[in-house]
Amino acid sequence: MTLTSLLPLIALALPIIGGLAALGAGRRNRRLGIAVVAGTAVTTFLITALLALAAKDGLLREMTLVQIAPPVWIVFRIDPLGTLFAATVSGLFLLALIYAFGYLPDDRRQWRFHAFAMACQGCMIGVAFAGNLVTLLVFYELFSLLSYPLITHDRTRVAVAAGLKYLVYIITGGAFVWAGIILVFHLGGEIRFLPGGLADINGSPGLVLATFACLVTGFGVKAALMPLHGWVPDAHPAAPAPFSAVLSGVMVATGVFGILRVMFEIFGVSRLIEMGVLPWLGGIAGASVLLAAARAVGEDDLKRRLAWSTISQMAYVLMAVSTIGGQAVTGAFVHITHHAFLKGGLFFCAGLVATVTGATRISQLRGLAQRMPVTSLALTVLALGLVGIPPLSGFISKWLLGLGLADAGAMVRLGVMLAGALLAAVYLWPIIYRIWLPTDDPRFAHSHSREASGWMLGILIATGMLAVILGTAATLPGFPLDLAKNAAQWLVEPPP
Amino acid sequence: MPIELHDLRPVLAPLISALCAGGVFVMGTSGRWRAIWSLAAAGLKFVIVWSMLPGTLAGSVYIFRVGEILPGLSIAFRVDAFGLFYALVTATLWVLTTVYALAYMKGSHALKRFFGFFALCISTTVAIAFAENLFTLFLFYELLTVCTYPLVIHDQDAEARRAGRKYLAYTLCGGAVILAGMLLVFHSAGTLSLAEGGILGDVDDHRVLLLIFLTLVGGFGVKAAIMPLHAWLPAAMVAPTPVSALLHAVAVVKAGAFGVVRVLYDVFGVNLLKSLGFATWLGYLAGFTIIAGSIMALRQNRLKARLAWSTISQLSYILLAASLLTPAAALAAIIHLANQAFTKITMFFVAGAIEHNTGKTHIDQLDGIGYRMPWTMAAFTIAGLSFMGVPLLAGFITKWYLSLGALAADSGGFVALMALSGLLNAAYWLPIIYRAYFRETGIPQLREETPWMLLAPIGICAGYVILLGTGAQAPLMPFSLAESAVRLAFGLEGGIP
Repeated sequence: MTLTSLLPLIALALPIIGGLAALGAGRRNRRLGIAVVAGTAVTTFLITALLALAAKDGLLREMTLVQIAPPVWIVFRIDPLGTLFAATVSGLFLLALIYAFGYLPDDRRQWRFHAFAMACQGCMIGVAFAGNLVTLLVFYELFSLLSYPLITHDRTRVAVAAGLKYLVYIITGGAFVWAGIILVFHLGGEIRFLPGGLADINGSPGLVLATFACLVTGFGVKAALMPLHGWVPDAHPAAPAPFSAVLSGVMVATGVFGILRVMFEIFGVSRLIEMGVLPWLGGIAGASVLLAAARAVGEDDLKRRLAWSTISQMAYVLMAVSTIGGQAVTGAFVHITHHAFLKGGLFFCAGLVATVTGATRISQLRGLAQRMPVTSLALTVLALGLVGIPPLSGFISKWLLGLGLADAGAMVRLGVMLAGALLAAVYLWPIIYRIWLPTDDPRFAHSHSREASGWMLGILIATGMLAVILGTAATLPGFPLDLAKNAAQWLVEPPP
Repeated sequence: MPIELHDLRPVLAPLISALCAGGVFVMGTSGRWRAIWSLAAAGLKFVIVWSMLPGTLAGSVYIFRVGEILPGLSIAFRVDAFGLFYALVTATLWVLTTVYALAYMKGSHALKRFFGFFALCISTTVAIAFAENLFTLFLFYELLTVCTYPLVIHDQDAEARRAGRKYLAYTLCGGAVILAGMLLVFHSAGTLSLAEGGILGDVDDHRVLLLIFLTLVGGFGVKAAIMPLHAWLPAAMVAPTPVSALLHAVAVVKAGAFGVVRVLYDVFGVNLLKSLGFATWLGYLAGFTIIAGSIMALRQNRLKARLAWSTISQLSYILLAASLLTPAAALAAIIHLANQAFTKITMFFVAGAIEHNTGKTHIDQLDGIGYRMPWTMAAFTIAGLSFMGVPLLAGFITKWYLSLGALAADSGGFVALMALSGLLNAAYWLPIIYRAYFRETGIPQLREETPWMLLAPIGICAGYVILLGTGAQAPLMPFSLAESAVRLAFGLEGGIP
């Protein structure tokens, strides 16, 4: 057992321990608490980023931690897909945790938020590094439960109701995942993720199909695949903005991540084609793209609109993956990462605007640029990025997705994607022009301009710049595109 | 074949506890001697039982024959893997329960009677675990009923007496039915010895076999609280908390479940049952009990009542698993004996600690209790999550093997049942956790942690729940014992498929 193979364990334990330490330290000395949180988050990000780079260069490790019952082991592994996701998770968490220092009132409960959020981060990294289905389930269930106190952090009636809805959806989804795992083990005698899928899954076609359906349904709840998306539009507005960002940016993607693992490393490409499930998956994802985008258009609440947009955007990923073409899968991975930072940034904006002006609805944003020019600029850049305007990061991923769909000859899905992108423009553009058009309405045109200061604005600027950098320098080695190419190749054409 | 060794320990374990109980009865007016004798009863038995673990794991079977009452009716003890597993669970929990009871019952009336019978219960339970034949099993099974009665009616008020009457009525009727079944077994097989592979192999009258099945499983099923024979259990929760813990988690209900498993595997035998097909019906009944018990639990507001209904539901996991007749499911049945015991006893201890500390007995009074008693409620949370089947906790292991066993028996429907039961468990445990930590109370909660004599058993049990879920292979975990029990029952050589 070398230090390298221990790194996944360190990366997942570090935030959990750091969170507890911050809880203890922060309540006595705020500066010390901030230092602990920031230090832990940065270190975790560095470890995961380094692992991602190393995995690209061919580092593959597996570490068996403990046997919880004879056939069931807790296993961590380093591979291109997992490290890319872990790096995305810890990158977004780094931003969100620092943002939260400005967003949350400076009191004892703030440290509770940080402790839970960092525990959640650790468990999500655990999902990324999981080497078999049970390990994945362990951390999947844990972070799902740990999210509850974060969603209901504001303790309002709305938040509690949203929290309940979230729990019901997620626990039911968890039960499906659990049943699917049992079936996989029964049929395949193995729960490890293997490149190219398990060697044999013996069972009647109906049972194999049921297994796949259980797993996709279970993970689909978290991936907000319609019609399993019900918790998303309620939980996002209810949660504090830094956690909404995480919910949208990476938590929904965790569901997609689970589906990817199941598709490529449990069932395997050839078996999926044989089972004939891919068109169905593509169809459901395509419907989600359009329906969710249409709902976003009609939504006035800013955070809800963004939540609907997340459902639509994550469905792109599944739609692309359902073609199982290498190019499309690359696009899917890039989109997961780019979307995480764009959508996270938009939620940061929404939270900032709500704190400073109290505005939560899009109709209340008129003339915002007069009062908060920097915030407005960041909001605009991020929104344009999500629409897919070059040279921002969203364009890169959309381009790759489109290219991949065309490559795979999936013309209908390509059409759906373009329509979805168009709808994204329809639901995001009104935000942009409301902000920038000057208004004489006395309700909105306050004479004094007032930016939020400190943590929040800094993070906002950082996400805006990230959108530009990831867009213009996408091809640099070590950037998400590079890693995603590698991960996609590893999944679609696994090494022997 | 296991090597049979004559050894004094199988009889020493129950005997020593009985002697210590005598000590309590004689010298128990003094609080100190009462405590010493009670702890001695639990502690000595603990040491004796654990001392047999290495030998049993190595494949020996310890035997001690006391003598024959009538020709064919002998009192004899035999320690096999399954019996030792049950005895280990009981012996371990009994030490903790005794410590807890000593702190909990301080200042109550009739303590001599209470601790005397408490120690006697230990003695009879171990004798049940080590019984070599149905007669010995039956004898101590009935004695257990008698010994627990004074504990159930400890409060001596009208409600307690009513519950006590109900308890006696159910369990004694169950006992009478077992007696009838025993007669039938002796009549048709000529022996009462429990043996791997069963003793009814030569009986070919289908009706007699059915009658034996109904009487024995029905009789033991009373204490295992399978529906519709469960009504005594929710009533009996009027007893003081340590007794509830004993009734629900360790001795009484487990004696019933243990009896059913013995009947299935060691009286009938796996192969005979498979050809008869009776067990399928037991499985359906257990499945119904799992769901119906959970739904009833959902409707209770009194914390102990919810725990009692949940017990009914959880016990049927054992019966369901045993009735599936596949190795993996049998493993689940045996392991769940321990898993359910540790998890449920944690919860009962917590319920008792809350009542002891704050006087609160109902779930809707528990708002904010997690801030008053953080460690106590943390233990409760662990137990609740375990029942939900969250991985890394004990409940997950049960469900894993039970589902695999169900799939191997081509009864995939029970996997869905497990998933549904997990959801129902979430529906009745999470609200308590929610109230404890997340419900606004408006008043600041002062920290008021449980006294350590109560908290220590709680913490150890909760820790064990985690250990059972993560470290099944750790040296002190009798997991391999359960495996060898399954191998014996199924006549397997290698690992469990």
